[in-house]
Amino acid sequence: MDLNIRRKSTKTRVTGSLIESYPHDLQMYKLPPLENISLQEFESLALERVTLLRSLATSTTLKGFRIYSEEWVEYIIGELRSQGLKYYAKLCEKSACGTTEADLQARRKDHIAHFILRLAYCRTEELRRWFIARELELFKMRFATMRGDAVESFFKINNLCYTNISDEEKSEIMHFLRESTPYPNLDNMKFYKVKFYEVLDLVKSRRVYLSCGFAYIPHKDFISVLAAQYRTQLKQSLAIACHHLGEIEQDERLVTLLKGLHQSYSGADYSSVKAVVPIESLDSLSVKSFPLCMRQLHEQLRLSHHLKHGGRLQYGLFLKGIGVTLEDSLRFWREEFTRIMELDKFEKQYAYNVRYNYGKEGSKKNYSPFSCLKIINTTVGPGDCHGCPYRHCDISNLKNRLQGYGFNSQAITEIIDMTKKGHFQVACSKYFDAVHHTDLGIGINHPNQYFEESQKIVKGEVKVEVKKEVKSTAVKMEAIDQIEEMDFDEVM
Amino acid sequence: MVGQHDENMLSDMLPIYYSRLFPQNVFCRWLSCGSAPQPLSNRELSFTLADDVYLRYLSISNQKELQTLLQKKCPHKLDIGAVYNTKPSVGRHDAVVLARELVFDIDLTDYDEIRTCCQEAKVCEKCWMFMVIACEIIDKALKEDFGFQSILWVFSGRRGIHCWVSDHEARTLDSPGRGAVADYLCLITGGDNQNKKVHLGSDNLHSSIRRALNIIDKYFEQLLQDQGFFSTPERLEKLSKMIPDEALRSQVQKNLDSMSDNSLDRWKTFINTYENYCRETGINVRKIRYLVEEIKIQYCYPRLDVNVTKGFNHLLKSPFSIHPKTGKVSVVFKPSNAKNIKLDEIPSIHSLLDDSSPDNAQHQANMRTAVKNFQEVVFSLEKLEAIRKKNDANVSLEF
Ligand code: SF4
Ligand SMILES: [Zn+2]
Repeated sequence: MDLNIRRKSTKTRVTGSLIESYPHDLQMYKLPPLENISLQEFESLALERVTLLRSLATSTTLKGFRIYSEEWVEYIIGELRSQGLKYYAKLCEKSACGTTEADLQARRKDHIAHFILRLAYCRTEELRRWFIARELELFKMRFATMRGDAVESFFKINNLCYTNISDEEKSEIMHFLRESTPYPNLDNMKFYKVKFYEVLDLVKSRRVYLSCGFAYIPHKDFISVLAAQYRTQLKQSLAIACHHLGEIEQDERLVTLLKGLHQSYSGADYSSVKAVVPIESLDSLSVKSFPLCMRQLHEQLRLSHHLKHGGRLQYGLFLKGIGVTLEDSLRFWREEFTRIMELDKFEKQYAYNVRYNYGKEGSKKNYSPFSCLKIINTTVGPGDCHGCPYRHCDISNLKNRLQGYGFNSQAITEIIDMTKKGHFQVACSKYFDAVHHTDLGIGINHPNQYFEESQKIVKGEVKVEVKKEVKSTAVKMEAIDQIEEMDFDEVM
Repeated sequence: MVGQHDENMLSDMLPIYYSRLFPQNVFCRWLSCGSAPQPLSNRELSFTLADDVYLRYLSISNQKELQTLLQKKCPHKLDIGAVYNTKPSVGRHDAVVLARELVFDIDLTDYDEIRTCCQEAKVCEKCWMFMVIACEIIDKALKEDFGFQSILWVFSGRRGIHCWVSDHEARTLDSPGRGAVADYLCLITGGDNQNKKVHLGSDNLHSSIRRALNIIDKYFEQLLQDQGFFSTPERLEKLSKMIPDEALRSQVQKNLDSMSDNSLDRWKTFINTYENYCRETGINVRKIRYLVEEIKIQYCYPRLDVNVTKGFNHLLKSPFSIHPKTGKVSVVFKPSNAKNIKLDEIPSIHSLLDDSSPDNAQHQANMRTAVKNFQEVVFSLEKLEAIRKKNDANVSLEF
């Protein structure tokens, strides 16, 4: 990446070349911008795009609109207008290939801002994931609002040529297309044949007919092909950007700016702690200060003296995050596990994993405790009891559990209501209030953050008063397949 | 005889097994073909030794080195890992994974909540039926939907089966790709806190699910009887917890409680109750449109360990290695023949090496068949690879 920042901008721009660089409202951002821009423009472009991406997230989580639905788009456009970001509103509303100066300038800003944020968000896995998910939503939204002719020229500009299957071929497989393509009126649609790995999102959710390695998609599913390409490209370039950060960070002003940009949205990662929590206090802490996901794991461990891999990972890293030392951790797991197995077996099969979590084995990375986002999105299988209880429990089981804890029925109803609506983290916040007899409505986005907030109250550092403050990056059900799952390869 | 396995004897028997019976040649051909275009030596092998010492990042360049390594270390467990950009012993933690067979691991312990004949490490002919169904469903999907051809099915050595897909496209599939394939094939989700683990929605059923249901139907009633899925009050309770509609649930409970405890009869009554209920309630049934299918799937559909499939470099037990706990050989079988497998006819290291064992002759014969099955897959893989290389060469000539 080659972003030269100068104090003053060079104002001489040739519109002719802008037309060549930016023929279409929708871009795949294949090439980085080469021009020089002022630090001031750099900063405002960056902030404006953060606002844009953030409004996408808000529309899904806080507003609770179904992603890509009309209300969802409407909210975002309205938000952009009210923030004075008309050029983004225009780019989002109906992407096309106009050639006015305003069109071109909007695209130029879009292009540069996208690349600035790559620098800000390439730093950690968590940030990259957030950024890719939002940029993909943006891309899909803009593609979906495009008119037919604009779509065509988009394909042409990006050299995407595909031919549809013949009518005979189509009628031969029509029966299967009907079964497996989730749209009505397939008769009038043209179908295209692409390799299955070009439309992984459709494969994953079984929304496409597959035969012999090919996926048969109608025109409107082409967005999957594009989004997949875009995602791959974005992922690679973020990895590269991360590598070259050092070069850019020569300029201190940039460092502060870039770091400041994302900090307000990412929060701490809880991979290093100062406090030390003795394991003897875990039983009482699990009642007072653990979020339900961790309390559940703790209780399960005490009950059955065993947890499956996913549970050990989720709980083990959480414990590390609240300040349980490696030695204590080993002692804790050993004491439980050896009630049902030989010490020898524990040392051979499980101790490694405990040390691994603390970065003492394998690739020696200091693993961060999982955030809510990640926990909510993990796959939970038979025999598992990790995950987020609001996402991974039957309502009746959840209810029983809460009743067992002795909450009053109003609190329970509130928690269950939020759970049913798919607002898992809001449910978690209600649980927090029920445990602490408060009405804080804290936004929960990390189990360790939950723990810290709770400790503040328990230790009396925070005076409890009725106050509303929501800053959570909550996830809703519908948003889930948009977010990438982290690779567990190394941990297995 | 089976059941007389003694782990302590392994150290004496394994060297003989490895040099006389382990199909070293075919094994090396399979792995090198599956590593191309990287050399065989970039493929990670890992050994677990007698005293549980665990050696990672081993590799071999040819059959001779394999023989030497096996004799020198005498691994009690032999696992296969990924193909790296360099010799794994050189790269270690920094080596980059370039390819790896697409693998599937299905283990009967994941069926513990539904199987009634055995639990945990145990397995019998009755619950083997679950593996038969799993194998047929996954095999069909891999071939028909994904177009894969080089598919190896292996008995895991104790209570499950493994599947290795060696097609070039499968080997080079990236992590999201593996995840998508795994999710496509995985219909049962949810942990111990969820009773109903299958949700098919109310739209058309995907072709692959229809096909799976047709396969399940071939075995369902037999399995139902064998396992007695609904024969006790607790098991009935499990069934009724899967019914989301309260009115229907209480009808089912009422009708089934009062009848004989034969599972098949109860199932038939359940279907009747369900159908009547749908007819009477009419429009109200979207939520339970596929309830019958969902139940069948929860009780019969393959339960994949998706983490094994999603992971790019998960180590998996090698075909023809000996399971250290049972002494059984991880034989390769044909998916079409899965239903004829008898667990006590699977060769074990003891019966193979002891010619006074009553099973010796038959187990020898079964071992030969297993090696032949392995060969067939490897030959066809070699053909596939040759064609692919030719095509690649042609493509590069065109430019
Ligand atoms: S919302 Fe987060 S902290 Fe709360 S239970 Fe779920 S995963 Fe745990
Ligand atoms: Zn059994």
